[in-house]
Amino acid sequence: MSTLQEKINSLYFKPDDSWQHVIIRDQKLCKDCSANPCLTICPAGVFGWNYAVTAPIGIAYKQCIECGACRLACPCKNIDFFYPKSSYGVIYTEEQPTS
Amino acid sequence: MIKKLNPLQRPYKISRQLDTEAPSPQTLPSGKFDAVVVGAGPAGSTAAYFMARQGMKVLLVERGCFPGAKVCGGVSIIAEHTHKLFPNFWDEVEWERMVTDQAFWWMTEDSVLSTRFQSKRLAAAPYNRFAIKRIHLYQWLAKKAVTAGVILVNSHHAAELLFEGKQATGIKIAEPHNTSYLADIIVLADGANSLLAEKANLIQRVSPLTMSLYVKETIALPAKTIEERFHLAPNEGTIIGLYGYPTAGMNGTGSIHTFKNSLSLNVGMSVSDFSRSGIRPYELLERLKEHPHLKPLLADGKLLEYGSALIPEGGYHCIPEIVHPGVMIIGDAAGLVNGVHGVNLAMWSGFFSAKAAYAAKIARDFSAKKLSLYRTLLNESFVIQDMKANAGIAKLQIDIPYLFDLYTRMANEAAFQVAKVYTMPKIAKRKFIFQKLISMQPLGKLLKDSWRVLKVVK
Repeated sequence: MSTLQEKINSLYFKPDDSWQHVIIRDQKLCKDCSANPCLTICPAGVFGWNYAVTAPIGIAYKQCIECGACRLACPCKNIDFFYPKSSYGVIYTEEQPTS
Repeated sequence: MIKKLNPLQRPYKISRQLDTEAPSPQTLPSGKFDAVVVGAGPAGSTAAYFMARQGMKVLLVERGCFPGAKVCGGVSIIAEHTHKLFPNFWDEVEWERMVTDQAFWWMTEDSVLSTRFQSKRLAAAPYNRFAIKRIHLYQWLAKKAVTAGVILVNSHHAAELLFEGKQATGIKIAEPHNTSYLADIIVLADGANSLLAEKANLIQRVSPLTMSLYVKETIALPAKTIEERFHLAPNEGTIIGLYGYPTAGMNGTGSIHTFKNSLSLNVGMSVSDFSRSGIRPYELLERLKEHPHLKPLLADGKLLEYGSALIPEGGYHCIPEIVHPGVMIIGDAAGLVNGVHGVNLAMWSGFFSAKAAYAAKIARDFSAKKLSLYRTLLNESFVIQDMKANAGIAKLQIDIPYLFDLYTRMANEAAFQVAKVYTMPKIAKRKFIFQKLISMQPLGKLLKDSWRVLKVVK
């Protein structure tokens, strides 16, 4: 058993503070979207929404593991997904956990 | 939820000196390259290696800070395929276990109907399959390419292709490098969901129906424990294909691969099934780990890494146009995945693209017509022929959404009834089982579906 937080914690990230590589183009479109698959499909739980009508969908892009599923899942083609620039983003090292 | 997740910035550290070999951009030779390969995965590194061996000037561009930095877990590579490209590769690359055991599990909530084949014959040279960590495979291939003369640049994100008219002439690297590299041939090996090719209008946006999302976990366990639990000899490994229960009613698969001190568990189905069902991928994985027959195998395992990946599972009919003026698309980017075969198809497509690139270089002709030698070689090889033979499977899975779930249940029901001993006479029991099964699926539909499956699976 491991929670999403534990799964994310098993990885190294080098977050890019100056550029967000996953964006929602138009938050207004999301208000009319009945499915909001982005909220469930992301394996890293990047997309979050508090279900308040006025609140936008939040994107915790710094924990993105770069599969790109969100872009394909969005029924409105409203998600722009790029890979992080330079050496930013997730890094897999296959290191044994220190314990 | 977001508040809770946001503070998780972990200190950035890479303890291994993995990217020391890559030259810094200042020392890069200027001028035009014969070829630029985007993506140092199995396809890209193989392509770069074989091009460099022919004396071509090749640049290999990788967005991770070392090859393999963006992938999780491991694969099994086919010995014969890899041996033909890289003779005696098993002496060079760090593999984990020799696969001598292949199993299929047809699962319901509380049962497993399995088939399993084990043989020492699979452990004799020239071997059959090796379980290998992706990071080791990718780094070995990239190192081979570098030794052959390829210039590898890590941490370089190719942002777009450059064109002169319709002829591709180079690539542009994103900030902070902001440079561009010119080449006669661009080989796109940027993986499933090739954003570069899509942006340049070379391929269409892939459909969520034929693109699968897999989530995986590498779980650490002592080698001895793995060998005891899976009944394996030291250095020998197993691959278990999981069907039915893992994907919660949708069509999809899961699998277990064993490595030296860890095993990898993955599960996935199409992006559209994930979005329609609203199942969270990591919850699907946790659900699988809780299965009563799987749980004891994973007990006391420690989570090493968690990952996800897109796999193009559309098969033959979803292969896009892979040759364009000055451009070849290889590996996952070209949709070259056939069932469980992906890495070896990627390596072969890299090999074929290198042959076509060399022929084009000699002729100084980089048109799509000249480069289509790549497609011809692919067509004539097992790669496309096998994919053609399996061409109907993707559509079958879309057309019969209950295929894996219902028939796995029926098989398990039949197995349960056969195993269960009743006081009724045997003839009556057989009738009873038959009635039970056709109450799950009417005979007409059952025969129709069987016929469709038989027609497709060759």
